[in-house]
Amino acid sequence: MLRSEYTNLSVVDIREGLNAGNFSAKEIADASLSCIDALDAGVVDAFLSTTPMLAYEAAEKLDTNSAKSAQVKAGILAGVPIAFKDNMNLMGTHTTCASKMLADYISPYTATCVAKTLAAGAIPMGKLNMDEFAFGSSTETSAFKLTRNPWDLERVPGGSSGGSVAAVASGMVTVALGSDTGGSIRQPAAFCGVVGFKPTYGVVSRYGVVAFGSSLDQVGPIGRSVADVAITTDAICGRDPLDCTSQDVNPGYYNSVLAAQQKGIKGMKIGVVPEYLEAPGIEREVVKALKGAIANLQELGAQIVDVSLPNAQAALAAYYVIGPCEAFSNLSRFDSVRYGNKNDVVQTAATDLGSRYEQARAHGFGPEAIRRIMLGSYLLSSGVYNTYYYPAQQVRTLITKDYQQAFEQVDVILAPVSPRTAFKFGEVGDPTSMYLSDIFTIPINIAGNGGLSLPVGLGEDSGLPVAVQIIGPQFGDYAIMRAAAALEQCYPDIRRIAPLMDSLNASANGLKSPERGVA
Amino acid sequence: MKDLQTVLREWEAVIGLEVHTELTTLNTKMFCSCKIEFGALPNTHVCPVCLGLPGALPVPNKAAIQSIVLAGLATNCKIQKRSMFYRKNYFYPDMSKNFQTTQGPIAFCMDGWLSLDVNGNAAKERVDVVANKSADSSCQQGGQQNCQLAAVATQTSLGYSTHIGITRIHMEEDAGKMIHVGGTDGRITGSDYSLVDYNRCGTPLIELVTEPDLRTPEEARLFLQKLRSIYLTLGISDCSMEEGSLRCDGNVSLRKRGSSKLGVKTELKNMNSFKNLHDGLAYEICRQAEVLENGGTVAQETRHWEPANKRTVSMRVKETADDYRLFPEPDLAPYDLSDEFVEKCRARLPELPDAKAKRYFDDYEVAASDAMNLAADVELSAFFDDALLNIKNNEKTEGLATPCQALAQPIANMLLNDVVAYLNSNNLLIGDTQLTAAAICELAELRVRDAISSKQAKEVLMMLAKDGGSANAIVNELGIEQVSDASELETVIDTILAQFPEKVEQYRGGKLGLMGFFVGQAMKETKGQGNPQLLNKILSEKLDASEA
Repeated sequence: MLRSEYTNLSVVDIREGLNAGNFSAKEIADASLSCIDALDAGVVDAFLSTTPMLAYEAAEKLDTNSAKSAQVKAGILAGVPIAFKDNMNLMGTHTTCASKMLADYISPYTATCVAKTLAAGAIPMGKLNMDEFAFGSSTETSAFKLTRNPWDLERVPGGSSGGSVAAVASGMVTVALGSDTGGSIRQPAAFCGVVGFKPTYGVVSRYGVVAFGSSLDQVGPIGRSVADVAITTDAICGRDPLDCTSQDVNPGYYNSVLAAQQKGIKGMKIGVVPEYLEAPGIEREVVKALKGAIANLQELGAQIVDVSLPNAQAALAAYYVIGPCEAFSNLSRFDSVRYGNKNDVVQTAATDLGSRYEQARAHGFGPEAIRRIMLGSYLLSSGVYNTYYYPAQQVRTLITKDYQQAFEQVDVILAPVSPRTAFKFGEVGDPTSMYLSDIFTIPINIAGNGGLSLPVGLGEDSGLPVAVQIIGPQFGDYAIMRAAAALEQCYPDIRRIAPLMDSLNASANGLKSPERGVA
Repeated sequence: MKDLQTVLREWEAVIGLEVHTELTTLNTKMFCSCKIEFGALPNTHVCPVCLGLPGALPVPNKAAIQSIVLAGLATNCKIQKRSMFYRKNYFYPDMSKNFQTTQGPIAFCMDGWLSLDVNGNAAKERVDVVANKSADSSCQQGGQQNCQLAAVATQTSLGYSTHIGITRIHMEEDAGKMIHVGGTDGRITGSDYSLVDYNRCGTPLIELVTEPDLRTPEEARLFLQKLRSIYLTLGISDCSMEEGSLRCDGNVSLRKRGSSKLGVKTELKNMNSFKNLHDGLAYEICRQAEVLENGGTVAQETRHWEPANKRTVSMRVKETADDYRLFPEPDLAPYDLSDEFVEKCRARLPELPDAKAKRYFDDYEVAASDAMNLAADVELSAFFDDALLNIKNNEKTEGLATPCQALAQPIANMLLNDVVAYLNSNNLLIGDTQLTAAAICELAELRVRDAISSKQAKEVLMMLAKDGGSANAIVNELGIEQVSDASELETVIDTILAQFPEKVEQYRGGKLGLMGFFVGQAMKETKGQGNPQLLNKILSEKLDASEA
């Protein structure tokens, strides 16, 4: 039996219902698992592994009457079914990064961000599919399975956190954690019509999250409302002694949401980059959505200001230097000595250490991973380093300055997330076109700022979710929350759970899915 | 092959050292909080960070940064306010992440130097010592100014002094240890399988690189000894070459005397003792000379010193420079050292061996070479300082005009000769013995007063080392205090001379050998405690005087 009446609830509703005794944590875990049973395998395929044992353990902790239970129940994510991108370590679970290289790897420790959600009372449902080592924008590079967009099963969910957004958009979990190196939270969130937030670099600890581009990676939440995302950010943010790039930031994201919902955003200055509306390859419905959002913000009393980001166009080039360089080095450890050594080909074909490395890496990594590793290896080699890596870092400084200057004039910047809506499997074949799908998200990672993808309805032409991106100044993510929460209120009727649920719910138990989207 | 002396007359050896030192006195590793312990069960001091597990991140150990700043200050380096960690990428199973976190072009410590005094036999390897024109001694003993030319040997009273530039000292992490099972030579090639112990992985390591300013194997040995005593004095490492916490590689090339062009260098590894460092370099210099004199060329390669066979063998030929794809470590922000931090480190600097030796020499009149030897040994010099303090605080020694000066050299002699021999043969540190500073002061005083013979002093010293106690008490108990009272000895001698008148006659008749007989009689009479020098003196006076 599907129990989506629970999994469709908001974070606040779940916590309050649980604490009021309206339902038990076990009921929530049951509901989430039955949703996963009905919708995942062969349909959405968002999960790489589920963790029912851990889920019931967490639920039992919430449901048992004890001092400890009271403590967890008071947590801001109490009873919330959550799942994690499969590059996040959770002790005792497989952490594969959707790569054959880590097919047999079981985490002996837990990532800080994961631990923080569990400490806040969340119920862990499992690990989610992704592009291999987060290299991709469609989740098609996963070595294990394709994840489908719940809005149209023939389309990609976006990537690399495709599993995370698909699980949330189909109602299998309430929130999920993803990671965003060049748009990997925001772009799939836009493709699947949910809210995805990449905080400023340093807001969330990266400890325990398998690194892709260390200076670009940031963990963030995916949810069906700005409030859910803000509360989850409150749970995971802050300085971690185990990550010296993490910063001492205060939780206060949800308070910003409440403040905007109550007081509005009259007088807030919203920056718009005029060139973005005429960017090459941008779809008409994306432009229309952006213009609609601008009109709505004006109606809310915000002031629209044109801003210029002259160097942002170089971001893609800098990103495809810095990202592969860091990835090359981060992925060196996957060499078959301790990871990926169960491959028979490796065992038999290798004659010495060098050939073992070659065999193992040639068989263990998929084509996109190999492409990036080779690119990074080349870009860092002596003689080449000064031509690419060093200028890329200089470009990075310039782009960061662009944003700093823009934020002297405005509180947030409104931009597209992706030039287009979700595409079909195999539709974007060549890597360069795939890379171009991240042109509006990558500059934010290069500069280190925060960005949020907010769904603003379905495209007129495609009928697929369209979103806008709200970008904030470094460590000014509270402003993003305010703008997003206010703008969200202009779209009261859009649904955040794909219609997929309705038919399945109807066929399963004749129940009509409650229109629980978000007010 | 020609011997070193002969080779060095024709050829100038140009030697640079790379010295790796594990900061073993720290409690935890460089980027995680795992314990540092030599000889622990394999893979018991490991965590996600030092195992390089996917997702783990480094956090720098501040105490390690303090240690490297101390090392830099003690070797006259310029401390860099802003430096960065880099990733050095290479594949090997002992490197858990397949990259080593190290430093880039700017290390914490840059551009330092040490002066080197080469004395006695060690000075003989150097053929181009120049006379000291300036007679300026202010640059010695840790002086601030850098007033000597690098690598030039300037004559001193005991040998010569030279000046070794230090390029940099950088911070990095150590790799794990591999054990290759099966095969014949313990190498990975030919082994059945290999085991990896990651306990050592992530141990903080500082690497000091010298300029190519060393010219003889002795200088290399003395430089490493001096550096070791500085590090030991700073307390930043146990510097055990045996256990590998101090490791030294050497780069050496030859050029014809008078030429300023550098020759092709080889890199020498596996020189895990001071003797091996010297002998390895000496062999390699002679080998290169033979190659060159036969019209050949030296291959740029890494060579392995085999102490058992007394030769170096080629490990691998370097056709191209290794490409480590060095780039800034993105998981660690650039490191900014505050002035306050550096000054705090400077305030923590202990008295360094050069300054200590100068103090022993200037203030306590200890012979220069003894002062240097004492100062180089952390435990011995601390004990010596205790002894000096004891003398200053002890009222009983007021009888001596300058008790510290009077007793310092005898104490130094006892420490450097008998005590060091005892420690070495029993494999002990001075702190492991029962000998106290007070006891050695008493003993020195007994000797200076001539109350006991040097042979007796040595016996008492050994008893003090084994069983402790006071020197005075032992001497009293054994009743061995020397009779040095002249009037007492005179009475004894008068009795003997009166007892053997015919022997006195024979002596005076020219049978001078009878002196031994009289001394023997006197010793018998004083139960062996008569001061032999004094007895001799009085006897000669009496026998010769009567003759006149």
